[in-house]
Amino acid sequence: MTNSQEYTHQELEIINRMRGKVMGRNENSGVNLFMVWGYPTVLVFLLEFAALMILQKHWYEWLWVGIPLLGVPLMVHFQRKDYERTGHRTLDSNVALQMWIYIGAASAFLGFFTGIAGVYPVCYCFIQGLLIGMGSFLTGIISRFRPMTTCGIIGSVLSFACLFLQGDLWPWQFLIVSVISVIALIIPGHLIFRYVKQFNSFNS
Amino acid sequence: MNSFKFPVINPLLHNELRLKIMVALDSLESANFMYLCEITDATRGNLSIQIKTLQEAGYLQVDKSGSGPAARSVCRITRKGHDALLTYEQGLRRLFTERVPDKETQQEFKKTIK
Repeated sequence: MTNSQEYTHQELEIINRMRGKVMGRNENSGVNLFMVWGYPTVLVFLLEFAALMILQKHWYEWLWVGIPLLGVPLMVHFQRKDYERTGHRTLDSNVALQMWIYIGAASAFLGFFTGIAGVYPVCYCFIQGLLIGMGSFLTGIISRFRPMTTCGIIGSVLSFACLFLQGDLWPWQFLIVSVISVIALIIPGHLIFRYVKQFNSFNS
Repeated sequence: MNSFKFPVINPLLHNELRLKIMVALDSLESANFMYLCEITDATRGNLSIQIKTLQEAGYLQVDKSGSGPAARSVCRITRKGHDALLTYEQGLRRLFTERVPDKETQQEFKKTIK
């Protein structure tokens, strides 16, 4: 090996070592993001179901507002806490965050416009379930976490069940979306949480 | 006649700590000062000087929040910095894989990196 090759070898070693070090310490993730959106979503959809089936109230159509009202402040809080704890933000987590903000905004517009157009019972739950499943699937792809990708696919497939629950059966769509939220948001959230915990204890 | 042409070695990145900072930030969206201190195993003073050098070259963007001892610096790599690192790495890889023919050209190479 010539001198220049030795020199370049050392420099390339530094570059590779640093990349490995940074990637090995990517302990911040969408952990809280999933739980933060998962639990309020399940809670709100169960409330909508209860309001419609038990209380027979018609304000159920606007209960979805509770999802961003609970989710956004919690998300901002946990993201800030996560950043303070780890001191860095990865490109992957940033892409996932932007995507979920987009999905959140799309869900809000969906709730608002289906309510105004009077098609809330027809398609709201189907599209909402599909969005959650797709978001989970894409996050799984971005973070290379296969269980999340699988959960996302299951969630997306389940959302089509809402199309068959029309007429008198339509309130049951809320239960389907609750199940989708558990499968595509809460379960992957807990799985990542456990995975990160194990990874960190192994590294330390 | 030797047809080998040396790639231009960026003197700003020809420093271990500066290179470490650039590589770390290139793999991340952003990172704060303490994280960089930890990941590069550098002292605060040295890190601060190198970050300033890279910032002045337009390779890093540093956002500061707060003031006094509680001030926080968040660093991001710029497009210019990313391109410079890419060119530097490509140059190194070329040097490593291509045959450098004789001692004369090696001397020439040494001059370019000083």
